[in-house]
Amino acid sequence: MNERTALESKPVEDEDRADDAEPDSQESPEGPEGTDGTDEHGRRPRWPRILGALLTVALLATGGALFAEGQQLRDTPATANLALTDAEATTRVTGDVSNALGRIFSYGPDATALTKDAARQVLAGKALQQYAALFGQVEKQAADQKLTLTTHVVRAGVTRLTGSSAHLLVFLDQVYERRGRPATTASAQLSVTAELRDGQWRIVEIGSI
Amino acid sequence: MTLRTRHLGGWAVLLAAALVCSLGTWSYAQARSDRTLSYAKARDAALAQGKRHLATLNSLDGKDATSVTTGLRAWRDSSTGPLHDQLKRSSATDARTLTTAGDTARGKVTSAALTALDDRTGTAELIATVDVRVTPRTGTPGIQRKRFTATLARTGHGWKVKALTAMRAGDGG
Repeated sequence: MNERTALESKPVEDEDRADDAEPDSQESPEGPEGTDGTDEHGRRPRWPRILGALLTVALLATGGALFAEGQQLRDTPATANLALTDAEATTRVTGDVSNALGRIFSYGPDATALTKDAARQVLAGKALQQYAALFGQVEKQAADQKLTLTTHVVRAGVTRLTGSSAHLLVFLDQVYERRGRPATTASAQLSVTAELRDGQWRIVEIGSI
Repeated sequence: MTLRTRHLGGWAVLLAAALVCSLGTWSYAQARSDRTLSYAKARDAALAQGKRHLATLNSLDGKDATSVTTGLRAWRDSSTGPLHDQLKRSSATDARTLTTAGDTARGKVTSAALTALDDRTGTAELIATVDVRVTPRTGTPGIQRKRFTATLARTGHGWKVKALTAMRAGDGG
């Protein structure tokens, strides 16, 4: 019963409100429009047009300025560099490069061929040439001195990353073992440039720091 | 009729202007609230400030007591949290030993990169190689090549060094 009374009374209330509101809502939009010239044929006051023009200019200027500001915020060198912002690509390039460095700088006296193969897979361009020039020496040394070198990456950080090229700082630890002698550990820091070729990151330049 | 068209034209122009304004506002708001953009900026700020602080923390003018005190104050200004506390605690003894030794060190970051960044909590991991040119009170200067890992934290005055570890060979595990 209560509900029904509530429902019944509702339309009445609405009607009342509508009656109250109608005169107001009809008058208010007509007020300014009246002075705008709809009623006064022929003689229109100038100020609405000036106001309109000023408003237009102000809106255009504000819109343009905000748009330019937004573009400026976006087009910084910060956004062009994807290091860390693209977490997946950063992890991938770090992993690929760390892996590659571990492989090409690890060899045993009898396993230099493996390392050579690895180098051909993970190096390209200038880095491959440099490596090839160096490796003859390394091969001889490894065989003569029964030298085993094990390299692993302890830290690697990406300084610059785009869709197809990356620049990294890599900390390495290298363990040298000569047969019959205690192992020695040395540290090395490299600056590495890598390029994405055929879906794989290849090292194109290696610099020592 | 012409009056009416002109009238409508005026409204259309105004409407178009309002549209341009709202588009501009939207574009700007979008750029401001861009998470990737703010993350990228935080990354660059952390790296730049981290490098600067690392150079400071590897530099000290050991000429006299005043210059040592100034240097130690600079160390404290570059650090925060645990490192800051540690430097503060040992500042008196540090000042004495460093003044007695009288060595002057000038650190230069040769390369640095962030390995991690948490924009939300304001922490970052930095790796860097630093050349420290040490000039003893007597004797010839030499260059020490060092590598560091540092934890950075965002403070009210920018990114500062919270923890600093010199990594020797074999330290990385």
